[in-house]
Amino acid sequence: MIRRSVLPALLLAAVVASLLIGQVPMSLAMLWQGLVTGEGPGALILDTIRGPRVLTAIGAGAVLGLSGVIFQTLFRNPLAAPDVMGFTSGAGLAIVGAIAFGLTVPMPLVAAAGGLAAAVLVAALAWRRGHRTPPLTLILVGLGVGFFTSALSTFLMTLLPYSEAAEAQRWLTGSLAARDWTHVAQVWGIGVVLVAAALAQAGRLEVLELGHDLAAGLGIRVERARWALSATGVLLAAAGVAVAGPVPFVALMSGPLGVRVTGATGVAARMLSGAGAGALVLLLADLAARAALPGIQLPAGVMTGILGAPYLLWRLSREMERGKL
Amino acid sequence: MSKFLWIACLLLLVVVGSLTIGVRSLDPAAYWQALTAYDPRDPAHVTLMAIRIPRLVAGLIAGAALGVAGTVMQAVTRNPLADPGILGVNAGAAFALLVGTTLLGRADEAIVALLTFPGAAIASAIVFALGGGLRGDVGPVRLTLAGAALNALLLSLVTAIVLVRQDSLDVFRFWVAGSLTQATTRPLAEMAGVAALGTGFALLIAPRIEALSLGTALSRGLGTRPGRVQAGALVVVTLTTGAAVAVAGPIAFLGLMVPPLARLVAGHNLRGELVVSAMLGATILIFADTLGRLLLAPSEIRAGIMTALIGGPVFLWIARRVRPGASA
Repeated sequence: MIRRSVLPALLLAAVVASLLIGQVPMSLAMLWQGLVTGEGPGALILDTIRGPRVLTAIGAGAVLGLSGVIFQTLFRNPLAAPDVMGFTSGAGLAIVGAIAFGLTVPMPLVAAAGGLAAAVLVAALAWRRGHRTPPLTLILVGLGVGFFTSALSTFLMTLLPYSEAAEAQRWLTGSLAARDWTHVAQVWGIGVVLVAAALAQAGRLEVLELGHDLAAGLGIRVERARWALSATGVLLAAAGVAVAGPVPFVALMSGPLGVRVTGATGVAARMLSGAGAGALVLLLADLAARAALPGIQLPAGVMTGILGAPYLLWRLSREMERGKL
Repeated sequence: MSKFLWIACLLLLVVVGSLTIGVRSLDPAAYWQALTAYDPRDPAHVTLMAIRIPRLVAGLIAGAALGVAGTVMQAVTRNPLADPGILGVNAGAAFALLVGTTLLGRADEAIVALLTFPGAAIASAIVFALGGGLRGDVGPVRLTLAGAALNALLLSLVTAIVLVRQDSLDVFRFWVAGSLTQATTRPLAEMAGVAALGTGFALLIAPRIEALSLGTALSRGLGTRPGRVQAGALVVVTLTTGAAVAVAGPIAFLGLMVPPLARLVAGHNLRGELVVSAMLGATILIFADTLGRLLLAPSEIRAGIMTALIGGPVFLWIARRVRPGASA
């Protein structure tokens, strides 16, 4: 019971810290007054800057974390995350493309289309007739698709005029600066639907995790269930990228971190703890990026990259010791 | 032998193309005059001597060096996906260059020449140690992911530095993809020497690297010391990649594409492969640079972006074929 409340408590502490710390520091009294009465300087900061920022971070982190849990469970590999397999860079490329060609389509749609296209490309390229694709091939092909889409993004950026290139650059790094309530509504609105869809498929994922033959024997339509889960996972990742940009490694880190904190075993519980851990990681990364250097606001994506890359290296050496790579 | 001649002809062809194709069309006679009787007031002579020839030389150095670096990396790790760009060695050298020039506040030739080598050395040591590359018996996924992690880490740090210093986007663009446009400000002669040194050393230790590929135990039996050969390979990679980054910035995927092609030409003979790799690397980079100038003329696409656009599909093609669990 105590263990179950650790993650929510950490999340609450991170939210409070994120609301208090910033260029204009807030006291707890100001925060309380702003929250309860909706008046005073605290309310203004909450309403215009930190409220939307914190809620966007929670929403985006949660959908990214949940997306990571889905892929890591589906492929039974802790390295299979949408940010490693190129889905988030596909979504990022779509956003840069939309900026470059002046499309007026809403960003979540663009990001979702890009993420789905990248995922379909990875699946198609890794597929070979008569073979069941090993997860490691998917990861390698995904890395390659990620390299290629990043190169295309860089290419498009060089075609843009300076101001638009700078905007595209901010997008590609992944940032939570200057979010407003439409971002919050977007990620929470889409997020709630997708989280519900993911939880509804948790039972099937639990059986799939036992192995495909066993799952088929238990009456699961394996291919259909895998496609539905993959689509849900890609859309979750795209929903996060649409409001926060392709922040690196949040999806990769969150699942294992969530399980470590909550000790969850069932798939539904792991999904929820991964979502909670994702929210926590993105909140803390954003806070650290804002507060690390006085007077300078770094994008959150810089911090998740600095935290996530050593994690990936550590994970690799762990997998190596177990003889899985 | 005739295959070597074909490659040499190909190289000659792209060299001629690179000298003749450009925004300003030059009179054929001007080439000879610029070399024999250089006149600084003649714009044709200036175009040739100050822009096209340095650019060509930079392409030759960087292309040949990266071809050699990629071949040595793939031979030592027995990993067909090894490349200085993918494994983060380019990024390490460029990162050292960026940090050094930012801290010291100067970017002259001497500084550029001194900074890239420690960066390349540290990055290759890190990625090989963490990626298990030196054991030579690990699957390609691990080494590739270790490189991706190192690249991501350095990219984040560079973004932070660029934002903190309020530097222009150009610094960042330099870091992401190399180009041959700044050849005149680069230490071309010195780096040509270093790249040649690295290539010579690679040719020297090539038979031992081949012995190593028989497996650690067997190669010990043949009198090779695996640790020494691997250290020698790291020296080669450091010298060649450092020289390439010093003249052209980080150019990805060239070291990935060249070795399989070189193997087609030279067969399974590492010395021949290295020679062909150097020639092919230069050919492909100069071709990519010329193509980048043509596609969007009068604007141009950086050579590093061109190689990434060509190399991404090549990576995918190879990645589909390796058996990721086994050592490849």
